[in-house]
Amino acid sequence: MKRVFDTQLIGPFAAMLLVIIIVALTTERFLYLGNLSNLFLQVSIVALIAIGSTIVIFAAGIDLSSGSMVALLTMILAQMLKFIGIPLVFALPLIFIVGGLLGLVIGLLTAYGRIPSFITSLAALIAFRGLALTFNNGSPIFSLDPALEPIFYGKLIGIPLPFFYLVFFYALAAFIMNFTRLGREIYAVGGNPAAAVLTGINVRKVQTTTFVIAGLMTAVGAILMSARLNSGSPNYGQTLELQAIAAAVVGGASLAGGRGNILATLMGAMTIVIVQNGLNLNAAPSSIQNVVLGLIILMAVGIDMWRAELSTLIFSFVKRFSSNKKATLKRNS
Amino acid sequence: MESKTPLWEFVDVTKAYPGVLANDEICIKLMPGSIHGLLGENGCGKSTMIKTLAGVQNPDSGKILHNGQPVIIGNPQVARDLGIATVFQEFSIVPTLSVGENIFLGNMPISRFGVIDWSKVDIDAARVLAEMNIDISPDAITGTLSVGDQQLVEIAKAIAKDARMIILDEPTAALGEEEIERLHALLRNMRNRGTAILYVSHRLDEVERIVDEVTILRNGRVVRASGETEINISEIVSAMVGEDIGEHYPKEHNITDKVVLEAKGLATKSNVTDVSFVLHSGEVLGFGGVLGSGRTEIAHALFGVDQLTSGQIILKGKPVRFRQEIDAINAGLALVPENRKYDGLFFNFKASGNITAASLGGLSRFGVLNLKAEQQATYELIRDLEISNEAEEKTVNYLSGGNQQKIVIARWLFSDSDILILDEPTQGIDIGAKIAVYKLINKLTRAGKSIILVSSDHDELLAMSDRVAIVQQGTISRSVNASDLTHNDLVQASANTSYLKSQEVLA
Repeated sequence: MKRVFDTQLIGPFAAMLLVIIIVALTTERFLYLGNLSNLFLQVSIVALIAIGSTIVIFAAGIDLSSGSMVALLTMILAQMLKFIGIPLVFALPLIFIVGGLLGLVIGLLTAYGRIPSFITSLAALIAFRGLALTFNNGSPIFSLDPALEPIFYGKLIGIPLPFFYLVFFYALAAFIMNFTRLGREIYAVGGNPAAAVLTGINVRKVQTTTFVIAGLMTAVGAILMSARLNSGSPNYGQTLELQAIAAAVVGGASLAGGRGNILATLMGAMTIVIVQNGLNLNAAPSSIQNVVLGLIILMAVGIDMWRAELSTLIFSFVKRFSSNKKATLKRNS
Repeated sequence: MESKTPLWEFVDVTKAYPGVLANDEICIKLMPGSIHGLLGENGCGKSTMIKTLAGVQNPDSGKILHNGQPVIIGNPQVARDLGIATVFQEFSIVPTLSVGENIFLGNMPISRFGVIDWSKVDIDAARVLAEMNIDISPDAITGTLSVGDQQLVEIAKAIAKDARMIILDEPTAALGEEEIERLHALLRNMRNRGTAILYVSHRLDEVERIVDEVTILRNGRVVRASGETEINISEIVSAMVGEDIGEHYPKEHNITDKVVLEAKGLATKSNVTDVSFVLHSGEVLGFGGVLGSGRTEIAHALFGVDQLTSGQIILKGKPVRFRQEIDAINAGLALVPENRKYDGLFFNFKASGNITAASLGGLSRFGVLNLKAEQQATYELIRDLEISNEAEEKTVNYLSGGNQQKIVIARWLFSDSDILILDEPTQGIDIGAKIAVYKLINKLTRAGKSIILVSSDHDELLAMSDRVAIVQQGTISRSVNASDLTHNDLVQASANTSYLKSQEVLA
């Protein structure tokens, strides 16, 4: 357990706590049960997609494609349910497969085609959005299947289902990253690809796998998105990829690869969503929300970069404080 | 030389980091016209001292005197203004710029119109290079030069600034024999013109050749000040380590006549041609030769990094073919690369992750790692190889070079490789750690494992090898018993190569 809940979680956890305290103190309705369960609904899609984005980042890649892929997958799902007439139980696994395959293509182009992932996933970001528009003449498809909505809105013992998805997928991701060979190899490839090659790790295969994982997690996000709105639209998921990357970064994942804790991404996503929620409840305009999101990302990375200076500052402060205390104690005794 | 006032003097300089006293009342006098060797094991406080003099950090207490006057070197700019130039281990040249641009980077001559005066850059750069008696064009793109020439450009920068005090941190780590000679000639030249030089190195043979006086640090303190210690290797070693270590090279002869690997006429696209040799069980086969002679490339040919264009590797009597590194690893080979920083270590991992990286398959069942076994093995290796205990809790970037190197080797102990290719295994690590690596080599050969030792340190190569293969221009010119070879033979072999090279250029 020590391995999973390590010191890397302290910072993101403290940040989340701080944000909760601030929002709770300034916003009356924040702690209402209704709002809290709403919070889980809000965070679920971005937090699940962020699992994939983070794992790609751990291997020193970047995935910009997830937002557009969500739009494309919701359109494919809508097409299957509404026009082709594929039953939901078959359509959902198919969406998983398509998501995984799209990730595979990006992964293969990156790892074997030696095109930087920033470019492959940027191309995918643009192309997937275009592909989504080729369905239904580019119009959204509504009222897909009455059985779809409960996937998002359903409850188990009074708790919204997305809470359980979060628990399940984060537990799985934490297990993979901390206890399996694949997880170790992902960190190794992100930490030092040259050394990974010389130790016999199949670097390209590992890189490709991270994009497949990202594709699968995006499929999960796309299914929840469709279920939430009972529709598919080529406009869904705009900037979702950036929010997912932001969650990873606020959670402390190093964009250089190799460092970070997957659970911290969940905290990063929570932090972002709580701030947005607080701004919403205080009726702040959405333009301000984006500015705040930008500032949060800057602060999260800044604190990481200035860690040495900050700790020296704190250290000298503590030293001065404790020596004062010692001096006082001496005087008193 | 006659002046009795030191150019720079440290008086009781102390610097503490959280938890460590890095410099403890250091006193040192740096005289003009003198090459001053600064020695000590890793973590003894050399880097801290250099950083203080270069203005990178400020001491907690103590005085720094410049020509007898107390000064404060608040930041690197102040140090530069006071005529101090530092050549750090990692070069600070910009590879895409020309030599002239690099030399004047940061203080480009400006013409009347406020733009860079390029003709002056060219003329001044050419003058500096001529002064140094080196034949490099100011227009050459620095990145295309050899590592040795890049090092000289780095020093040219210092000279161009009219530095009176030059600090060199491990200047020869990446240089070949001939390049070292050139560097040393240059340093002597500068010394004779009254420059003070502080020379930090782990290569003791070199220190003996070049240094005028020596100061030795241990645990942040000066244990031998200049003048106290004769420049004599065995005395220096015992002062550095703090005990009389007796044998510097604890060689054990474990060679048997059982052939484990035979290379027949190997060739690759990286200029390896017709390489043949045999390796016995328990043998240390040294690869001698100059930098760029193809030793590392032969290692890459053996390890499946470079594909063979012809030739054959016969492993334990069976011909094998390695399409990629993993094939070589599975066949029991291991490569400890020359540059552990870039090719060897995972700085995001603790010792454990680094040690098991090549054995993840054996360590896992259905893809799930056996973390208990990993921890146990790490604990045992840290204990057996006397690796710092910190390695269990901290990522390896916090460890000294010696500990890092032991961890890279431990990786292949854990994977139970039979044939280890060690490429410059003791480069940049201190004498205590070097001896630990030598003992490790003994331990491996005693267990019947075979070692290919690539080293530029001639003494080490001669002392630790059973046989030495002399590598020239991508091929092995001859293999001889180490005992039949002298230091001079190796230097001669190096000289021959450069002779051949210069003939090629002429032709």
